[in-house]
Amino acid sequence: MSSPSTSLRTAGRRSLRPADSARRRRRLELAFFIVPALVFYLALVLYPILQAVHYSLFNWSGLGTLSDFVGIGNYRDAFNDPEFTGAIKHNFILVGLSLVVQFPIALGVALLLNRPFRGRRAARIVFFAPYVLSEAITAVIWLLILQPDGLVDRGFQSVGLGGAVQLWLADLNLVLFTMFVVITWKYVGFGIILLLAGLQGIPQELHEAAAIDGAKSWTMVRYITLPLLGPTIRIWGFLSIIGSLQLFDLVWIMTQGGPAEASNTMATYMFNNGFVRYEFGYGSAVAVILFIISFALALIYQRFVLRRDTRGALTRMAG
Amino acid sequence: MSASVLTAGSRRRRAQPIAGRLFSKFWVYAVCAVFGGITIVPLAYVVLGGFRTTGQIAAHPVGWPHPWITSNYTSVITSSSFWRQVANSLLIAAIAASLIVTLGSSVAYALSRYEFRGREVLYTVFTLGLLLPLTVAVLPLYIELRHVGILDNPLGVALPEAAFGLPVTVIILRPFMRAVPSDVEDAAAMDGCSKFGFFWRVLLPLSRPALMTVAILAVVQSWNAFLLPLIALNSPSEATIPLGVANYQTEYSQDTAAILAYTALSMIPALVFFLAAERRIVGGLSGAVKG
Amino acid sequence: MFRRWKTWALLLGTVAVLASLGGLTTAAQGKTAGPKAVTLTWWHNATADPGKSYWAKVASDYHKLHPDVTVNSVPIQNETLQNTKIPLALQSNDPPDVFQQWGGGVLGTQVRAGKVADITKYVKPWIKLLGGAVAGWQYQGKQYGIPYNLGVVGFWYNKALFKQAGIAAPPKTWNDLFTDIAKLKTAGVTPIAIGSKDRWPDAFYWDYLAVRVCSKTTLQQSAITYNFSDPCWTKAGTLTQQLLNDKPFQNGFLATPAQQGAGSSAGLIGNGKAAMELQGHWDEGVMNGLTPNQKGLGSNLGWFPFPSIPGGKGVPGAALGGGDGYSCSWKAPEPQCADFLKYLVSVPVQKGWAKLNIGLPTAKGSESALGDPILRAVAKARSASPFVQTYLDIAYSSTVGQALDSAIADMFAGQKNPQQVVQAIAKSAKSSH
Repeated sequence: MSSPSTSLRTAGRRSLRPADSARRRRRLELAFFIVPALVFYLALVLYPILQAVHYSLFNWSGLGTLSDFVGIGNYRDAFNDPEFTGAIKHNFILVGLSLVVQFPIALGVALLLNRPFRGRRAARIVFFAPYVLSEAITAVIWLLILQPDGLVDRGFQSVGLGGAVQLWLADLNLVLFTMFVVITWKYVGFGIILLLAGLQGIPQELHEAAAIDGAKSWTMVRYITLPLLGPTIRIWGFLSIIGSLQLFDLVWIMTQGGPAEASNTMATYMFNNGFVRYEFGYGSAVAVILFIISFALALIYQRFVLRRDTRGALTRMAG
Repeated sequence: MSASVLTAGSRRRRAQPIAGRLFSKFWVYAVCAVFGGITIVPLAYVVLGGFRTTGQIAAHPVGWPHPWITSNYTSVITSSSFWRQVANSLLIAAIAASLIVTLGSSVAYALSRYEFRGREVLYTVFTLGLLLPLTVAVLPLYIELRHVGILDNPLGVALPEAAFGLPVTVIILRPFMRAVPSDVEDAAAMDGCSKFGFFWRVLLPLSRPALMTVAILAVVQSWNAFLLPLIALNSPSEATIPLGVANYQTEYSQDTAAILAYTALSMIPALVFFLAAERRIVGGLSGAVKG
Repeated sequence: MFRRWKTWALLLGTVAVLASLGGLTTAAQGKTAGPKAVTLTWWHNATADPGKSYWAKVASDYHKLHPDVTVNSVPIQNETLQNTKIPLALQSNDPPDVFQQWGGGVLGTQVRAGKVADITKYVKPWIKLLGGAVAGWQYQGKQYGIPYNLGVVGFWYNKALFKQAGIAAPPKTWNDLFTDIAKLKTAGVTPIAIGSKDRWPDAFYWDYLAVRVCSKTTLQQSAITYNFSDPCWTKAGTLTQQLLNDKPFQNGFLATPAQQGAGSSAGLIGNGKAAMELQGHWDEGVMNGLTPNQKGLGSNLGWFPFPSIPGGKGVPGAALGGGDGYSCSWKAPEPQCADFLKYLVSVPVQKGWAKLNIGLPTAKGSESALGDPILRAVAKARSASPFVQTYLDIAYSSTVGQALDSAIADMFAGQKNPQQVVQAIAKSAKSSH
């Protein structure tokens, strides 16, 4: 990205007075482009998070004045609450499952679809459709078809798997995984499309050359496709992790975190304790913890996973 | 690697057997059928269920409409609250998308084509927003909206949505804007074009694919938002479609067929919009992925 | 063309922003237009007929009597109303004027935060009409709401299914109940339906057992001192566990809601898929709405009070109960709001409401309008009870009440034992008081 700056810098070096006014004008220009968005962003995104930290230090019902200072008491209570630690565990289970289950499925389907065939565009549309639906609609649909003796149960029975029918939403051990299935239904299409987009960026010649060389499909995938798909995979991984940590809408409408908190996520726990129980201070503490966990994970991911992409980009630029 | 591949491999040539090609085509169609089925069947169930009566559904949860009852669909289509929700959703999505595109492109421009101290810090500040789920900010945001007085108002939903949509926008737009060669910029400057003129007349049109992607993502996100409207909107006259669907489900819970009809109709705007914009979304995504 | 597109987008956005700002101002004007014209927003939980239409009629009738007051009837689903909408609305600057109020500790929380209007002076002339029930809607001696529907919790049962299982008469003691459950199981009938997903139906069992084994003083004191050290509280849990171990509930009961859809516990009873349900006095109305012809079980529906526990320290014949009422928010125009409340609980309106057979009116003299013999029986049980304990999750503050419901639901899911339930409740009481 050296060219624009060099042109600006050489322009500034020509004489002193134009340089000063040029610099001031440049500052004004920058301000014009940055300040509105920045102010907007600070006011509606960063300010609330700071406020959340502030509220989290109090015992406050959300009504009335902020008067009962408890310091880190709310944070201590949160980590002492097995419901909350359970919720954290659920979130991480979902993160793990999405990486381990959704990724191979999305990759496999994307690889399979990465060739022209009749109906490919229709397939793309169909797979992507659930992503476009709101989580509220998804929740209502699945709530109905997961009823005992509903569509899902009847489906199992019709293929002779009647014995496999479970209490999808009532079984404490199953409900989280049922939620994962619904999440997958909604989001795997997005992964497929994203990976397809990345696959289309890989030049066909590489595959052809390797085929001439006698490379089998699996070798091609392993040595050509996957490495070149790397940036896409890593982006998808990032979005997937963040999405799993922030899950709220689907769970709230389908199970409200139940039964007995078996499907609680950090977000549903926060909503339940913050709003429903009139405990804004405590709810804010939970929200801050959720933010810190997301932030930590993102930092780690950025440092160890995404850094390779930026480093690669840098070497490419220099070379 | 490429050199060795070319020289070593030119000796051997393998003709792919026809059976192999057919076999793999089979897998392609099989996978499509399975996945397509899993995706479509729940949606088809909802649409078809709307054409039955609740009694039929209670007696036989799975079944073809026989006879085809249209009263569920007609009652939703003629209900003013459904259309009001569509209008509310549209309004909020329009405001949010316009704000996101305007503010996002200005910031992305500054971050991509200027050099200044703290530029990367600023970029990181914006990407931080990705990690902030709305749920984290929702309690203090609620109080802030209350102070400003825009609760129960489309702005109370659109403004935060725009702010929270800025990170993804900046992340997508910056590489696009960066990729415009500096010669273009120099040429514009030599023609007497101001920085703003360059932005408005050259860069934005060139970034059109990315801008459309961003706008579409913003519209989809806004249209489907649930939590923010849940806390910011009180009266039924201000509700958006996701709120309407959730409320309808609880309010008319004894009328399963009506719920299915309502849900089916609520899916239509999103799906139609998606069909129209589908090429853009994938195109934009592949661009962002390359950058 | 592209440039124009962008301009259009900006214009659209600006217009939209201006339009919504305009909408803000007109809305504000509308509320204060004219010196006398007043609009009352009324949030209630009657989302289904006949209640929904009746309240709509009450709103328009009131307007005919008072042309300068318009009442906006807004039905909101019960759980959403109680758990989300009202807490959120009370924290905003634009709460509803009249909203559903269940009294007890939740009312206390709201009053302490200054969110409820004190209507003592407005209701003084006519409050006696409602009898002693009004105490549940008071805070520190002042009136903050009035009850229009008050009942007791009991067992609703299907007479035909009982007969089919060979049960001659409803159970009188706790052990009788187990005998009957066994008979129903043998006959292939689901003995008890329960809406565990919503948690508060679970609490009914625990609460009632506490009413049976705890002394009246212990019960009443617990709402003031939040002291749960008496062993009777654990005993209530042990007895509940005994019932749970017998597995009398429907398949998948943990995910069954109480009132939403034909698959809810009320729907199960109404459609003859389970024999009995421990529920409040509203259950018949809910049941009927969930059946194909809105008819429910008809004459097959019966009601019996919660069985007795021989040796329990509780007042014999005591009942668990509560009701619905309405409050005026702090932003409501007090004289008009209080007057509307007066109209709501006036004998003619209450008689009309009683005819719907969806609840038990509070205004003295209106019970005679109850057409349904079962509801009349429940009303009689209500007046015959020497002592009615308000549902504990309402009697206690919202924090403790929710913690109580959660802990009991955990026990129903097999995640807590009786001691842990009491510990959880005590812990939440300690940390919030």
